[in-house]
Amino acid sequence: MPLTLENFPPAVMPPHAEALRAEVKAFIREKLAGVPTHIRARTWAGFDADFSKAMAARGWIGVTIPRDYGGAGLDAFARFVLVEELLAAGAPVAAHWIGDRQSAPLLLHYGTEEQRRSILPRICNGELFFCIGMSEPNSGSDLASVRTRADRAPGGGWTLKGQKIWTTYAHKSHYMIALVRTSGTSEDRQNGLSQFLIDLSLPGVTVRPIMIGTGDTDFNDVFFEDVHLSEDALVGIEGNGWKQVNAELAFERSGPERIYSSLVLLDLWARLLGDATDAESAARLGRIVARLAPLREMSVAMTALLAKGGSPITEAALFKDMGTEVEQQIPAEIADAVAARPDLAADPELLRTLAYLMQLNHVFSLRGGTREILRGMIARGLGLR
Amino acid sequence: MTDDDDFLTDAFRRQLGGLVTPEAIRAIERGSDATELWRSLDESGFADAMLPESAGGAGLGLAQAFPLILAAGEYCVPAPFAETMVARAMLGEQGVAPPSGAAILLAPASAVLPGAGLASHALVDRDGVPTLVAIQVSGDDLFRLRCATAIEQGEVLGLLAPDADRLMLSAAAVTSALMAGAMGRVLEMSLRHAGERQQFGRSLGKFQAIQQQLAVLAEQVLSAQVAARNAFVGTTFELARVAAAKCRANEAASHVCNIAHAIHGAIGATEEFDLQLYTRRLKLCQLAFGSESYWGARLGHARIASGLDLTSDFLRLRLGAEMN
Repeated sequence: MPLTLENFPPAVMPPHAEALRAEVKAFIREKLAGVPTHIRARTWAGFDADFSKAMAARGWIGVTIPRDYGGAGLDAFARFVLVEELLAAGAPVAAHWIGDRQSAPLLLHYGTEEQRRSILPRICNGELFFCIGMSEPNSGSDLASVRTRADRAPGGGWTLKGQKIWTTYAHKSHYMIALVRTSGTSEDRQNGLSQFLIDLSLPGVTVRPIMIGTGDTDFNDVFFEDVHLSEDALVGIEGNGWKQVNAELAFERSGPERIYSSLVLLDLWARLLGDATDAESAARLGRIVARLAPLREMSVAMTALLAKGGSPITEAALFKDMGTEVEQQIPAEIADAVAARPDLAADPELLRTLAYLMQLNHVFSLRGGTREILRGMIARGLGLR
Repeated sequence: MTDDDDFLTDAFRRQLGGLVTPEAIRAIERGSDATELWRSLDESGFADAMLPESAGGAGLGLAQAFPLILAAGEYCVPAPFAETMVARAMLGEQGVAPPSGAAILLAPASAVLPGAGLASHALVDRDGVPTLVAIQVSGDDLFRLRCATAIEQGEVLGLLAPDADRLMLSAAAVTSALMAGAMGRVLEMSLRHAGERQQFGRSLGKFQAIQQQLAVLAEQVLSAQVAARNAFVGTTFELARVAAAKCRANEAASHVCNIAHAIHGAIGATEEFDLQLYTRRLKLCQLAFGSESYWGARLGHARIASGLDLTSDFLRLRLGAEMN
């Protein structure tokens, strides 16, 4: 069997990682005091540069980056504990989220020594925020069809032309790491793609926010009009972009952010239910908790695999598909429970939080790879394709 | 798991592979005498594996016993093997010696008792006291699987310390693990069938619609298996862990049966096909020892009663892979 329980070996959180938890909880208690639940519900979509700077002052951005490069030199388990507490409390981590989760580890692994020296310490001290340039207009889920190109410039370096879309917080970020074509055409698919480190303040870069129906403007169009990139903007090996991106995706899909996006709502609802709750509401709550429990275990197990240098790509796809499903179910279940009693006045803060998540939970499954793409990856892992 | 544990599980699987053939399962379902099979299983010593070495066992804890129960589910063992293993441990711990060779059911209140027709004894609940009794089936075999809706209790052979919940937790935990094992086999069978069966000129597994279904099947199986494994953490079965395991097993089983039979087509339901041996058992188990609503409500109440602010803390402290 290609996919069994052995793919998720039981993993125990090491004591050094658990030791961090109390300190993180205390920090969150202090920093988030008085922040209402409907604001906390933004979690990793909540952008607060001051919060990120305070995190950096504690040494909590880039915890897995070696001390030589400004990080804390801790392991993936320590990051799991840190991130779990931040997400569970609904801390606004968006400003440093991408740099911490993806860009810094990517640069550490594939970057040149110069890139590491110049960038990593500034990610870790909360000075630089990152975004990811993957999606493009018309490319949708077909990431390999990207058309943004970087060509060798006559006097050295690269010339970048094209457009990225759905780039979260590009308008508040300093750098983008983008997947672009450096040779061949869209027909060449995964071949000929490379990753670049792009300073968003360069001439020729235009960032235009996209407003979604809720009035939020987290997403952006990013245009590149003959942007000149220096030679050292290339990340990793020319033409190796697809492989580098996929290694990144195992990190992107395996973390607790794939199960905790609606958790502050669940916890507020549970608190309001109280001890005298009826069996029906208790069962709703319990069935959600039962679905979350094995998912958290899977996430811990994948953290252990990643810490050992593994790349649990199929496992992460399986976890994320189920995780976003629960994240989508939580607002739906609570909406059903609340509106099952039109005769009772619902708690106003519960309603505000619920309304925020109800307007977004249907798109939770799109970020980081759609369900259909993930299921295709699982099918590949099962040997079907 | 250590290498020794793997060795034990491998040995058990080999034994099951020889003893519990689909033909043997069918014969017993049809009412054939199961004494021989039970004798062989009992003589193998695995049903004593959770007893201390001083009592002739292997001293397995819950986590080490789990792979054996998962394997029993994978092989569809038509005997209360896992139940007996756990019952013997519960009895042995309190110095009660069951009759030699007894096949012991865990029989708390339940709509139906799987394997009742294949057991000689049962641990039943008498006003909060788990009590060892000789049994005979009296109710209907609703699923044609030697189950029963009721048992007649005979002679009382021993009493355990009063505990109103332990029997229910044990029965549900064991059943979750058996279901998790059975679902793993259903996934395997569905993948094999999708690879072999040709439709419209190619194998079923080449169709994207089927691939997506099989991906969901795998998700449900893995989730139920991880939840079941976590019910076997620590030294005793605990409410939150067992509730999550049975809740998840029951929910998953509906998806798993529906998808597996969709992929197999009508042939999967026929007597000659092995799939129905598994899916009918899964349905029987859904009806036994509490549904997803029952365990969901108990887990929900436990979440609230925990007084913890965060569900993430509840998951970590009460449902994780380690004891806290």
